[in-house]
Amino acid sequence: MKVKLWGTRGSIPSPGPETIRYGGNTSCVGVTLSDGSMLALDAGTGIRNLGLALAAEPARLHILLTHLHLDHIQGLVFFAPAFRAQTEIVIWGPASPEASLRDRIARYISAPLSPVEVRELPCDVSFRHCPEAEWEIGPARIRAASVAHRGPTLGYRIDDGDSSLAYIPDHEPALGADIDALEEDWISGLGLARNASLLIHDGQYTDEEYPDHIGWGHSSLSHAVSFARRASADRTLLFHHDPMHTDAQLDALGLAARERWMQAGGAEGGMELAAEGAEYELPARAASAASAT
Amino acid sequence: MTQKPLELILARNLMSALSTPAFLVDEGGVLVFYNEAAGMLLGKRFEELGTVGPDEWGSLFGPFDESGEPIPYDELPLVVAVRNGRPAHADFEISSVDGARHRVEASAFPILTAHGSRGAIAVFWPAGSSNGAGR
Ligand SMILES: [Zn+2]
Ligand SMILES: [Zn+2]
Repeated sequence: MKVKLWGTRGSIPSPGPETIRYGGNTSCVGVTLSDGSMLALDAGTGIRNLGLALAAEPARLHILLTHLHLDHIQGLVFFAPAFRAQTEIVIWGPASPEASLRDRIARYISAPLSPVEVRELPCDVSFRHCPEAEWEIGPARIRAASVAHRGPTLGYRIDDGDSSLAYIPDHEPALGADIDALEEDWISGLGLARNASLLIHDGQYTDEEYPDHIGWGHSSLSHAVSFARRASADRTLLFHHDPMHTDAQLDALGLAARERWMQAGGAEGGMELAAEGAEYELPARAASAASAT
Repeated sequence: MTQKPLELILARNLMSALSTPAFLVDEGGVLVFYNEAAGMLLGKRFEELGTVGPDEWGSLFGPFDESGEPIPYDELPLVVAVRNGRPAHADFEISSVDGARHRVEASAFPILTAHGSRGAIAVFWPAGSSNGAGR
């Protein structure tokens, strides 16, 4: 499984000279499965560049949306493959008792917010509510589960062969809970992240910023590190960077995250900050780690 | 360990912050949590007890009706809520670990989601604390 980060920013695109290295595009991660099938995790503004890179391929792709906050869907109407008649796109997302996924997305892809309507998209697009049970896309097993954020929000787990990716970009597992003390099965999202080869997780706030943002649906650095430790993820990328954070501030945050990770007994190289454009080839989980109890 | 559904996790988080006794069962009726206030009422903290199966917890602390007869399990508000998917209310007596009897009112409501029932919550209030138990 190959993973490429097309957008790592949270909340709102934040381009400019101070966000060049970590990037200004909002959430989008491209995943190439072992048989070459293509998935996009979220459709923030980063999906525009993913679409441009895809040229005329592939004919079929899946977009897995965690939720419908604008920073996760804004790129949909600028995704080039959606404007090619030969493309088939399947959009997965959370169910809601209020309206179908298609109708909820159409509130954005419709006048006056959008120049096109869903029905006008030339591609063959379909919308599916994520089932509760695991399902398959190509060679991968996909699992979606509700996680603590604001509004119906999913996290994803993708298992392909022996490698696994957990994607939980908007997540506040510490809301009203002590991640370090709780039993594992009572921690939001942990079932998705457990023993993942790569965990991409919310790390929006510094520990100093978090108290002013309790209940906003995001994690502090310490919460993200604690969550990754409890999950025993091989490698964690802190993601969904706050739009106010400059490259220099994110460098400092990354350093602090690595220190906390090592203090908590994490392995060298197991914790870093997500940067737009970074690519990862997921290895099968290390035998030593897999056998540890 | 199977992950608890988010709705139960959030319910437990909320209950942990409340000073009102509150109980949480999962969709199978297993008692998966009660808060500190409930622990004080029962005389036993949840951590000491652990999860209790659907047919066991009903009898742990009574409950008893006005004439002191045990209330059938099927009629407990929490059981009605989780089995029938609708709210239920009752008042009854429970006995704590030390044998003391407490008269309480209990309201239970189901936790329903897009994927169906996740369980139910019951909240207890002391009944007739200022005006006796004669309601
Ligand atoms: Zn977001
Ligand atoms: Zn969000």
